[in-house]
Amino acid sequence: MAEPRFNTERHVKYYLRCLKTFLPTLYTSNDSNRMLLAYLTLSGLDVLGVLHSKTTAEERQGYIDWIYHCQVPSGGFRGFPGTDFGLESRTTENEVWDPANIPATFFALVNLLILEDDLERVKRKECLQWLPKVQRADGSFGEVLGPGGRVEGVRDLRYCCCAAGTRYILRGKAGKGLEDVEDIDVPKLVSFIGACQTYDGGMAESPFRESHGGHTYCAISSLDFLNRVSNDVKSVPLLSFGSKENEALLAWLVSRQTAKISESELDEDGSDTQDEQSIDTIEADSRISALPDIQSISADTILYAGFNGRCNKIADTCYSFWNGATLRMLDRYSLIDGDSNRRYLLEKTQHMVGGFGKGIGDPPDLLHSYFGMVSLAFQGEAGLSQVDPTVVTSKRTVQHLESLPWWQ
Amino acid sequence: MEEEHSYANDPEWASVTPIPLDDGSDSGAMPLATIAYPPEYLEATSYLRAVMAANEMSERALKLTEDVISMNPAHYTVWIYRAKILFALDKDLIDELNWLNGVSLKYLKNYQIWHHRQVLMSSRTHFPTLPPKELDFLMEMFAQDSKNYHVWTYRHWLVRHFQLWDLPQELDDTHTLLKADVRNNSAWNHRYMLRFGPRDAAEPDAGLANAGDMTTSTADKGRLPVVDEELVDAELKYAQEQILRAPENRSPWWYARGVLHAAARDLEEWEGFVGMFVGDDGAVKSSHAVEWLADVYAKSAGGERRPRAVDMFTLLKEKYDPIRKNYWDYRIRMLDQVAV
Repeated sequence: MAEPRFNTERHVKYYLRCLKTFLPTLYTSNDSNRMLLAYLTLSGLDVLGVLHSKTTAEERQGYIDWIYHCQVPSGGFRGFPGTDFGLESRTTENEVWDPANIPATFFALVNLLILEDDLERVKRKECLQWLPKVQRADGSFGEVLGPGGRVEGVRDLRYCCCAAGTRYILRGKAGKGLEDVEDIDVPKLVSFIGACQTYDGGMAESPFRESHGGHTYCAISSLDFLNRVSNDVKSVPLLSFGSKENEALLAWLVSRQTAKISESELDEDGSDTQDEQSIDTIEADSRISALPDIQSISADTILYAGFNGRCNKIADTCYSFWNGATLRMLDRYSLIDGDSNRRYLLEKTQHMVGGFGKGIGDPPDLLHSYFGMVSLAFQGEAGLSQVDPTVVTSKRTVQHLESLPWWQ
Repeated sequence: MEEEHSYANDPEWASVTPIPLDDGSDSGAMPLATIAYPPEYLEATSYLRAVMAANEMSERALKLTEDVISMNPAHYTVWIYRAKILFALDKDLIDELNWLNGVSLKYLKNYQIWHHRQVLMSSRTHFPTLPPKELDFLMEMFAQDSKNYHVWTYRHWLVRHFQLWDLPQELDDTHTLLKADVRNNSAWNHRYMLRFGPRDAAEPDAGLANAGDMTTSTADKGRLPVVDEELVDAELKYAQEQILRAPENRSPWWYARGVLHAAARDLEEWEGFVGMFVGDDGAVKSSHAVEWLADVYAKSAGGERRPRAVDMFTLLKEKYDPIRKNYWDYRIRMLDQVAV
């Protein structure tokens, strides 16, 4: 069997195509997420270590200008230029239809950092003043402010993570020059996150929903963002080594790794019976003895093991990242089986034209390409930069952030 | 006819001056993530910007939002704008729900559609009680994808909003879905919420029963303030029945752990049942039973059953769950660190 290989040249080509030519029409339904797509492209090239060699200083300045073009006059960023009806048409009555957007603001700031911008043109104070307005009474965050200043958007941990990330970038370690700016309610946010842990140990988008790898990532990265700029979050049980919450979370995270990588394998473990009988203790023994013994699992059946996002689902490229990055933040990445994850990504979802697909045989897309690659970067794949699991950019980019004036 | 529609040639839109997309390139910026937009999308969104800038609440604007949504259902302001128009024009929201049903079946993985439904349904004026066909439509959605996260989120919200905790159809639908697929973890989770979720309307979003705040002790977290022991017994029995249908299915095993924890009862309670899955001869009927026993042994008083915990973890590591080899090794190492 040929040694699996990370095809650097093909991936560079894939990303350059995404950067320099139009994305296919199919992406129209992702128009509102262009700031996120921009992040996946720029950060992809940065993690591949070629952003600066494959783009000119002039181009990078042009990209920076486009990101600022998406800044809303009242602070924060829009997700795409599509809501902008022009400064001359903008009034206090209609600006609600062109609002700053929580995830877009985070990704815009990260994009500027990747491009080594100094964030001088960011309306820093205005943005930080807007953040607490998008926080709900229960501590969670919405996506945008709607008519009447109402917090709009679903109640879930993605927005918490992007809000905490924005605060981290713009507030910095010392919060210099922000003495008069009201902060978000950190204890309430922490409580909300804690309440999202479910009975099986994972984290759900909101309390009592089903545990989910993406939201679990968002929960822990929110806490980590809060932690990095202040020390008051360290004692949260979820992050405390040896606590019940932490142990349950670890057990749930490692259980996401699975050799079930296509739908046909899902119900394979047999002995399903449709007939339901009421159980009675005297009978239970004989009914259990009648069950088939499970077979020991041989090494060749678990050569390829990716991660799923929820219990009893099949593997999907991006969950190698969501679960893996969470384990990295918890400093427990060594608990996964790295070899079988690497083989799954390189031999099953890496695409021959470059990029990664969601599952076996799927065409590449920006999201799965980036997260597949970052998962490999966590495992030290040659040719990839080191990636910070919380900001999810190269460590270079985080160092650049820490060199900004309010971080001193 | 429909395909040739152009706003520029439509007399209904003659009074509106569209606002074209300003992608920044005129001012020297280099747009990122550029998309090969279809011309219909570019035209429709240029009219959308114009009516939004004018704050127009009209039938034609409503129709326009439908057109934009059909091409980009993830557009985050078009839905808020649409909801505002619906209420401003006092539209029939049942008609809106019927239209939404079609959109939902077309775009299965979309947050905005379900949030919009929730925004409409939140109007007590329009929906003082649950509309009769609502739960049936959700089952229609589950027929497409019985684990659709957005639909379950909405169903969860419905239960809280209309206080459907004891509505027989809630539990029945969940049971029907588990009957069809006992591995449907979404259905298991919904059942847990129905059985053990806090019903206090004043505190609609408390997490794990008694999730508390930063001051709540770890031991109290997730414990029910009042335990209905009969309900707990019935749920444990339900889990056992479902385990027998597919012993390698993780969902009911973890459901049972959750039930025991909520009731402040110990894993030891199931030691007898679980033990039947693990024979002395090394024959095993479920790897989850092995894990359960390991957890029971690991906590044993004085650590006297610790060696047996090592045996169980080793079985998992070497035979029944080698993907998690590193984790089982970690659990073995941790045994020495547990305060006894």
